[in-house]
Amino acid sequence: MSAPMSAPMSVVANKRPFDVGHAAYLALNALLLTFLLAPIAIVLVFALNPTPYISFPPVGVSLRWFEKFFAGTEFMNALWLSLWVASVVLVLSILIGGACALALARGNLPGRAFLTAFFMSPLMLPAILTGLALFQAYLLSGIGRPVWGLILAHTLVAVPYVIRTTLAVLHNFDRRIEEAAAVLGASPARVFFEVTLPLIRPGVFAGGVFAFIVSFDQFPVSLFLVVPKGETLPVVLFNYMKFDLDGAIAAASMVSILLALSVVLVLERLIGLKAYVKL
Amino acid sequence: MISGARPSPIAWLVAPAALLFVLFFVLPFGVMAMMSFYSGNPVTNPNAFATTRHYERFIFDTAGIYHEALWSTLSIGLVTTVVSLLIGYPLAHWMARMQSRLGHALVLMAVIAPMLTGIVVRTFAWMTILQDKGVINTLLIQWGLTDKPLPLMYNEFGTVVALVHIYVPFMVLTLTGVIGRIDERLEQAARSLGAGRVRAFVEVTLPLSLPGILAGSLLVFALSISAYVTPSLMGGTNVLTLPMLIAQQVGTSFNPNFAGALGVILLLVSLAIVVAYNRILARLSGEQGMA
Repeated sequence: MSAPMSAPMSVVANKRPFDVGHAAYLALNALLLTFLLAPIAIVLVFALNPTPYISFPPVGVSLRWFEKFFAGTEFMNALWLSLWVASVVLVLSILIGGACALALARGNLPGRAFLTAFFMSPLMLPAILTGLALFQAYLLSGIGRPVWGLILAHTLVAVPYVIRTTLAVLHNFDRRIEEAAAVLGASPARVFFEVTLPLIRPGVFAGGVFAFIVSFDQFPVSLFLVVPKGETLPVVLFNYMKFDLDGAIAAASMVSILLALSVVLVLERLIGLKAYVKL
Repeated sequence: MISGARPSPIAWLVAPAALLFVLFFVLPFGVMAMMSFYSGNPVTNPNAFATTRHYERFIFDTAGIYHEALWSTLSIGLVTTVVSLLIGYPLAHWMARMQSRLGHALVLMAVIAPMLTGIVVRTFAWMTILQDKGVINTLLIQWGLTDKPLPLMYNEFGTVVALVHIYVPFMVLTLTGVIGRIDERLEQAARSLGAGRVRAFVEVTLPLSLPGILAGSLLVFALSISAYVTPSLMGGTNVLTLPMLIAQQVGTSFNPNFAGALGVILLLVSLAIVVAYNRILARLSGEQGMA
């Protein structure tokens, strides 16, 4: 009990016996972290709680809501559609975004700053307006609401993430590596395929994983672009929640969260999370 | 980068992205703007004519709901931004000044994890917490602190709480970058000259992080005024925002032209914010370049 607790946790270099101000600072931050994480933990509790309606405190542990989720045709169709759309978006945005980032960083393009801001703009403009604008364009051109229209809409809002992560890697690596390869006689094509591409791969893949999540969790862009029998998972969940608030939603949420968390771990392995601090 | 250098062949790699953005971004927004000035669909309906009546409908507000919707959109956005700043700043400061790499990675993970959880899922989480039979009201009644459930949801309060939770990570990430770039020795110098910790923070670190505060606030404001899921689920019938109006016009009223006009109005507000945001970021990176 009397052992100094501050040593392993301390974030200040100078040792103090007990610092009220600093303790308050740490307590406040612990509280804020709880605010961020508690809702996610609570969803898990409700996913496992067997009562027919959301009620607290939980009375037991059951998998009935997971069974309801995985047995529901509507949920399953939506889950598969979302996974399918997100996978195609992942591939498309890696190709389009990776290429675009290379051009921005290495292409000596005029107006580079403007172009970069332009390609980032889907992140800044309201996503619901992107959905509305695409809906209007599809309506006017008479193409209706095909799945490829939804996929390209998701790709549009996913590409900026790939551009951002790839640019972050491109800015961080030493250009002299490429120059050295060129000096040693490698052709520009060989430098590109054997030096540049392997070096930016983590950034591109990390961006692709982000793209997958952006598409899988996408709601505002999808809202106006899905057809009644072909809704993605977030849209089905949203419509369900307007009338019913039972554990099936919590189970579906857990499935999404577990997917996202595993993706975070993949990200951490691939590139380290630090790259995302640069917004 | 030498300015004036000719574009290299690699520049062509921008083409697929440019094509995607022109066809599925620039053009659709143009279509939306055009639709907002027509009475109907000009392609399928030969009687559709050019008109400004959708904007007049909004400006003169004969239904008596549009101005209120705009106002409530902006006020929810403002409150969400201020609360996100108050919550986000301590977290960002803590993260930026953390020595331990493991601790930093863990906090970063805790901040990013909610971001990777969909908006629908996070709104659901808040519904289970704030509804009448939710976690908070159940506990309050159990502990005898209140007789009937407090109205925590289906109002602006619940909407703001959930919005803050959803958008505070953006604030934290923006602020962490800026606070991390402020030399810690400046604050230490102020303290060795006799300033208390609070005074050193208020007079040194806080003013230096002002650009980050502005950038983060603009980002959160832009995101929260365009939110649809959270206000419609957490606000119920008591909250009506511009994005909710737009969805109503498309979904139930099927008036894509008026929806287009509402879209243009929301777009103009957002564009003003984006321009300000980019100005601040440009100034930030300029300062960084000189340092």
